Amino acid sequence: MKFLNHLTLGQYVPASSIVHSIDPRAKIISVVVVLSGIFAVNRIDSFLLWAVVLFVVVKLSKLPLSMVLRSARPVIILVLFTSLIHLFFTKGEIIFQYGFLTITLEGVMMAVKIGLRLVLLVMYAGILTLTTSPTELADGLESIFSPLKRFGFPAHEMAMMMTIAIRFIPTLLDETDRIVKAQIARGAELDQGGIIKRIRSFIPILVPLFVIVFQRADELAVAMESRNYKGGEGRTRMYPLVWSFKESIFMLFTILTTLLIILLDKRIWL
Amino acid sequence: MPIVVENLVHIYHEGTPLEIEALKGVSMNATPGEWVSIVGHTGSGKSTLAQHLNALLVPTRGKVIIDGIEVGTDSKEHRKIRQLVGLIFQYPEQQLFEETVFAEIAFGPRNWGVPEGEIPSRVSEALYLVGLDESFSKRSPFQLSGGEKRRVAIASVLSVRPRYLVLDEPTAGLDSKGKDELCALLEKLKTSGTGIIHVTHDLELALDFSDKILVLEGGKALLWGSPEIIVEELIERGIEGLVMPPVVELARRLRDVGFDVPVTWKAQVLASAIEENLQK
Ligand SMILES: Nc1ncnc2c1ncn2[C@@H]1O[C@H](COP(=O)(O)OP(=O)(O)O)[C@@H](O)[C@H]1O
Ligand SMILES: [Mg+2]
Repeated sequence: MKFLNHLTLGQYVPASSIVHSIDPRAKIISVVVVLSGIFAVNRIDSFLLWAVVLFVVVKLSKLPLSMVLRSARPVIILVLFTSLIHLFFTKGEIIFQYGFLTITLEGVMMAVKIGLRLVLLVMYAGILTLTTSPTELADGLESIFSPLKRFGFPAHEMAMMMTIAIRFIPTLLDETDRIVKAQIARGAELDQGGIIKRIRSFIPILVPLFVIVFQRADELAVAMESRNYKGGEGRTRMYPLVWSFKESIFMLFTILTTLLIILLDKRIWL
Repeated sequence: MPIVVENLVHIYHEGTPLEIEALKGVSMNATPGEWVSIVGHTGSGKSTLAQHLNALLVPTRGKVIIDGIEVGTDSKEHRKIRQLVGLIFQYPEQQLFEETVFAEIAFGPRNWGVPEGEIPSRVSEALYLVGLDESFSKRSPFQLSGGEKRRVAIASVLSVRPRYLVLDEPTAGLDSKGKDELCALLEKLKTSGTGIIHVTHDLELALDFSDKILVLEGGKALLWGSPEIIVEELIERGIEGLVMPPVVELARRLRDVGFDVPVTWKAQVLASAIEENLQK
């Protein structure tokens, strides 16, 4: 029996590739630019262009393509659901009818586009988290948001909370896995009976998990305080972020590609 | 009817880049009334093996057969297996969740459909086995000391009356008195016919109590046999990475310098052998 090992969203896979080595700030901003670019286009050929770009980036990152594809798995249901709704409820030229179900040409186009858009969004985000370690991500976000510190935005605290949360996800998954197994070994049945019974059957898992989470939080707070952690003021980094020529070129490429695809999509020059 | 493990291979996350072959063809067996220890380092695959015995993991290849029921062929049979084999995880006190010790210990028997009328006697029996008195049954498990929590957790598995008991490093974090008491309990269960499968990285403890020992290293079975065989191997060849128990090490060095002492891990036996040697 396998529990909880299907979670790849947010899982860093180290490798030595150009995509891995780019400064996280450049990657985060690029992803934001690309995501806007995906939202801005509306033709199927533009989505295919985005898919080609994605493919190139995946090749550059040296990650197996299957792994990036798999990062879209958690949203498959959402994609299918949204696509189906558009498939059946878009008005237009009817191409198929069965009882009260009608499918229109426009509906098919809509469904395909929505599906492509969602999947592309998730995969670009997936590439970011697959090639950037959680620490880098947090450092990058902190650095991007630090101009807002002046207005009281807790950039450092946010980044620290994020780092800790991400750091503890695998630990908590392990703990959950162990507790689930321990209770199953004691005869607990998690997937039997009606809804009330199923909810009740999670008590043997949730209670121990809460106990463990509070214990961990407590221990971590003590450990941090005993190392004299006092928040972001005056903290330096072990690995300072460096924005070099490479990052500038990378950003330039991102922005040019995005503009180009948007312009093609809008048929500006025609 | 025994537990039989044959050429067990287990691969975590098969087919992904995170693929890990945790067990690479391990065989062993155990019968009721026997104490089998599984010894090895952290990461050698002990816990993975232990979880197969309770059908929590299913073999990637090879066979695990519990009293004639094969793990993995029919998942409906898995509940039968879990009733036969009690599994006590490392730090079992972390699984406690009920409001009272009584309810905690009754959780297992209730899940397995033991009639409600029989439950109080099951709870009393389990409490008695782990050396806690009846007054505990009304208390909250969260207000007990660490050692008491662990006993309650163990009692919550014993109350099911499993034919085999698999324990994953049950002595971790216990003081030497706690260890001795736990071992005495396991010995008692063994005498009354329960099969004990004890996962530990403490070779000395394993030598002292086991009928058979399986030494795992990197997912492979390095050695399998009686404590005598294991110690002989240790002395003849040394086992990469396994800490030699001090008594065995002493016996080995004495033999190297010409003393006629037996291959043993028992301090008492070695002491009298040395005495004889000195008197000659
Ligand atoms: N749930 C899991 N997912 C992936 N790998 C695991 C999992 N559990 C254990 N492993 C890996 O399998 C190997 C054996 O682990 P384990 O059976 O826990 O060894 P031991 O109990 O001897 O310390 C280790 O390399 C460990 O990282
Ligand atoms: Mg282990």
